Amino acid sequence: MPKINQTIQTTPYFQVLSENQIEMIYSAALDVIQSTGSRFHHDEALELFKNSEAVVTDGNLVRIPLSLVERAIKCHPRKINLTGRTGKNTIKLEKNVVNFGTGSDLPFTYDRETGERRRTEYKDVVNAARIVDYLPNLDFFMSHGIVQDVPNPQTYDRHQFMAMLEGCTKPMVLTTVDGEGLEDMWKMAALFRGDEKEYSLNPLFVTYIEPISPLKNDRTAVEKLLFCAEKGIPCMYTPCPSSGATAPATMAGMLVQSLSETLMASVLTYLKKPGMPLIMGGVTTVLDMITTTYSYGAPELSLASAANTDISKWIGLPMFSTGGCTDAKVLDEQAAIESATSNFYAYLSGASLVHDVGYIDSGVNASLESLVMNDEIIAMIRQMGKGINTEEEYLALELIDKIGPGGEYLTTEHTLKHYKEWFQPRLQDRSDYETWVREGKKTMNDRIREETDRILREHYPEPIDDKIRQELEEIINAAEKRH
Amino acid sequence: MSEKFGKIADGLLHGKIDEVAALTQELLDEGVDPDEVLQKGLFAGMDVVGKKFKNCEMFIPEVLRSAKAMHAAMDKLRPVLSEEGGSRAGTVVMATVQGDLHDIGKNLAGMMMEGAGFNIIDMGIDRKTEDIVDMVKEKKPQILGLSALLTTTMPKMGEVINALKEAGIRDQVKVIVGGAPVTDDFAREIGADAYAPNASIGTEKALELIKA
Repeated sequence: MPKINQTIQTTPYFQVLSENQIEMIYSAALDVIQSTGSRFHHDEALELFKNSEAVVTDGNLVRIPLSLVERAIKCHPRKINLTGRTGKNTIKLEKNVVNFGTGSDLPFTYDRETGERRRTEYKDVVNAARIVDYLPNLDFFMSHGIVQDVPNPQTYDRHQFMAMLEGCTKPMVLTTVDGEGLEDMWKMAALFRGDEKEYSLNPLFVTYIEPISPLKNDRTAVEKLLFCAEKGIPCMYTPCPSSGATAPATMAGMLVQSLSETLMASVLTYLKKPGMPLIMGGVTTVLDMITTTYSYGAPELSLASAANTDISKWIGLPMFSTGGCTDAKVLDEQAAIESATSNFYAYLSGASLVHDVGYIDSGVNASLESLVMNDEIIAMIRQMGKGINTEEEYLALELIDKIGPGGEYLTTEHTLKHYKEWFQPRLQDRSDYETWVREGKKTMNDRIREETDRILREHYPEPIDDKIRQELEEIINAAEKRH
Repeated sequence: MSEKFGKIADGLLHGKIDEVAALTQELLDEGVDPDEVLQKGLFAGMDVVGKKFKNCEMFIPEVLRSAKAMHAAMDKLRPVLSEEGGSRAGTVVMATVQGDLHDIGKNLAGMMMEGAGFNIIDMGIDRKTEDIVDMVKEKKPQILGLSALLTTTMPKMGEVINALKEAGIRDQVKVIVGGAPVTDDFAREIGADAYAPNASIGTEKALELIKA
């Protein structure tokens, strides 16, 4: 007979903030927007604000009544679908669907031959793209490195996007130099769908934009925001405060400030054209008080990000969170510890996009091996997230009775069927000591290196169609001519 | 008297901003030589701060509170100090280059350098190359600190150095560059005198450069 009054918890349930705490932070953010305000270094933005209920004083200081903020924030969709260039890889950005991916624009790459770091080049971004394209637990791609072997730093972004497209068929998050760069890259992406309207139905990328904490918005950031609003391009406005330096040293204070920065962007895009898909974000971490490093391995980063994710779910926006990154200079024990803990926390929090997987050296150096290591970590984490099934088949009462005291389960149909639901490591070693010695005493690091070599040797994604490639190059060449 | 010097040094160590300023004023009112207040009180205190920071006995927020106390005391002292006493170390002009609005690293470096005895002229963010060159011409600093966070604005630092050359004043000032994407190699490439990966190393390099 089925029972009544049952609650089944199919997955673990995790939260950092209660609803009351979220309301406190949201309410405080509204106060910041209304009383403290934020500076916008952009003429059109200031005009838009002046023509609304917002108040602009001191040249560019914008304060916004909370009624306007509350109207604006309701106009963003709760969900965004992104599809890679071949149409085969789609991710859904909505609450509690967690997608993992890389970060972007690392000036250095860990050179796998010399063991030293060096400036990131075009080929490094292609290689990172290929690895992400291959790895089953990485769902979206940011450039990992910043392409520097190009003619002009003002147009590097188009080349970088090309490198990303060459190597990866998964959805992407893109950084761009300015509004003009964004427009070019939007046109490049639309080539894969035929036309702009078709592209809007099925976008390939989210634009990464950030304010300068505390409460400043520079010209290029605003340019990009306005272009996204005009064209309905999904974007994130993701504050990168360092707690104690560019935000309060308390996590709650940092969250209040970050949220107000995001909400200001919401209002600006609303005034331009309501409805732009907005993703909440924030690399909310601490400034290390000995080294002044902006820490990518701090537990506070994970704690504040998970709290921020709670806020995003309450507001009804997808969330851009952080994990799989480290302050360690090479892929060592510190890197493994920090990557694993941050991924796990971000996963439990239910953030839509968890980025910066594969960052080493505090967001300065790119490691390909780290991507491979993190793929295994994420596979483990996703397994832990599956929860416990308590249906009859899973309680296995009949089976226990049948096997009885002293029996064995290895040869049962039930085991054959269900062991396949377990996590099977690809890189971690569970062999006995003798076998391990016989097979060359390989460490995790050795196995990660071999696997990275193998992927780079064997995996090439579906190539870009010649006609589209030519059109992509035309856009890039035109940009070079303009600059 | 030495007791009051000790109190100033101790106040600095503990970041007591108002107390250090008040004690400095008291000594001046009593007719003590301002250079002596600076040497025996303030610099003595900041030397201890520097050592403790190196040994990880003090952290950045404490060091910056000490620097602020130093700043408050200098406000009292500066008008009455002798020419050579005014800046133990020298003058530093600093700016974030054009197109870049990031300034936390620069500000940190400025505060730490001030704590080490430099006189700081902070031009702020998004500063045009020609404005920076004009400031160097006008203030004749020993050191120019340039900051950029973005790879797109980083080349502006090289532009400033070239403009200093064109203006014929490159050899009159030492240039330190810093910011996340900046490296030693890059600093050499653009002809800077030093690269500072963080504020405290920037301060060390500045002190080395003025000795050289």
